[in-house]
Amino acid sequence: MWHVAVQREAFDLNQESQALRAGRRDVGAEVSFVGYVRDFNERPEVQALTLEHYPGMTEQQLQMILQQAAARWPLLGARLIHRVGRLEPGDAIVLVLVSSAHRQAAFSACEFIMDYLKTQAPFWKKEHTATGDYWVSERDTDQQAQARWGSYRESNHE
Amino acid sequence: MTQFTHLDERGQAHMVDVSTKHNTFREAKAQACVRMQSATLQAIAEDKLAKGDVLATARIAGIQAAKRTPDLIPLCHPLLLTKVSVELELDFTLPGVRIYTACRLSGQTGVEMEALTAASVAALTIYDMCKAIDKQMQITDLCVLAKSGGKSGDWSFDPYGTQAASLSANPDLALGIQPLTASTEIESTPNSAAELEVRFFAGLRESLERDQLSVSLTRLTSPSVAALLDWLSQQPGWQEVFTARRLLVAVNQVMVDLEHPLQAGDEVAFFPPVTGG
Repeated sequence: MWHVAVQREAFDLNQESQALRAGRRDVGAEVSFVGYVRDFNERPEVQALTLEHYPGMTEQQLQMILQQAAARWPLLGARLIHRVGRLEPGDAIVLVLVSSAHRQAAFSACEFIMDYLKTQAPFWKKEHTATGDYWVSERDTDQQAQARWGSYRESNHE
Repeated sequence: MTQFTHLDERGQAHMVDVSTKHNTFREAKAQACVRMQSATLQAIAEDKLAKGDVLATARIAGIQAAKRTPDLIPLCHPLLLTKVSVELELDFTLPGVRIYTACRLSGQTGVEMEALTAASVAALTIYDMCKAIDKQMQITDLCVLAKSGGKSGDWSFDPYGTQAASLSANPDLALGIQPLTASTEIESTPNSAAELEVRFFAGLRESLERDQLSVSLTRLTSPSVAALLDWLSQQPGWQEVFTARRLLVAVNQVMVDLEHPLQAGDEVAFFPPVTGG
């Protein structure tokens, strides 16, 4: 019901969706987010990127993010898959799937999970371009996106 | 993941069933400090406060509080305490009052909540008695000092892992501290119990050209993340790497801040801000 995975292989949205809903008839809404590798970022013409992570801590942080989402909204389940290793433009990199009885909870929780993942999960991207390789820098907009959810206590009554 | 005994499998609060646990002799000791201006401490010592004898009142308040613990802490069992003691010590170096409490019984569940409650309420009473002359008093250092009896065995407070005593219930984890040496050269001697395992990721790993390092706690000026960071940045050629950019730190795979204490065997990871997703 609360599934996280860090893997090199591609994922299949349909299979993941079926796994999330398997055996249940109380799911009224499912929201999915898929992140892809772009061919432009800090420099144009990104040819590929390599994703590094902190094995062990990553899985724990992803579980914790799902637990925080489940504490804020009445969710029925969630699946969070993040890929690591070498990826090319057009490749899917991250999947968030959230199910709930009504749509609002699933929409909000999906966005919350991605905002937290961006600032709390130990992944690092190195981009490979024609003009060289570099580690991607943090973005202020990601920090701001996470900050708007406030602390757990403040938003407990949403 | 560790299970919280006060949560059932649905995550709802419940009182733990202790009816099958054996009666054993149990004791818990706790402490708290009330830090204050030295003039306030002097006034307590000379019994010059308008509300009367601060120490005698705080002592009675602590004893009464221990007996009322299950009324205050929702999932605490009512216990038949056989002894409650509250000792107060004036410490002019703090300056402030140190409170030491102990609770005992022969029963089926631990008494640390009672000892903590006694220390808390004794501290609050001192605050109440003295607030007319000092509004900036601080109540600090509330913690359990030691526990004995029961299934989990003996335990004593050891925030920096400097005593083996704290792990006496689990001899496999007994700690040894290496003697302080003058050498500051970087050594890689993993698997020694007094070592911290320090790990580096992403751009930081590439700048340092290494992904891990063992550092002895005895090399640090204090057992904290900040002291470890100081030590790392003092290594030849590393100052720029550790000070030029924002770094995050995790201890035992949980993100922490610089004030976080360290103990032997900790895995400490430094890394740049994360960029996944």
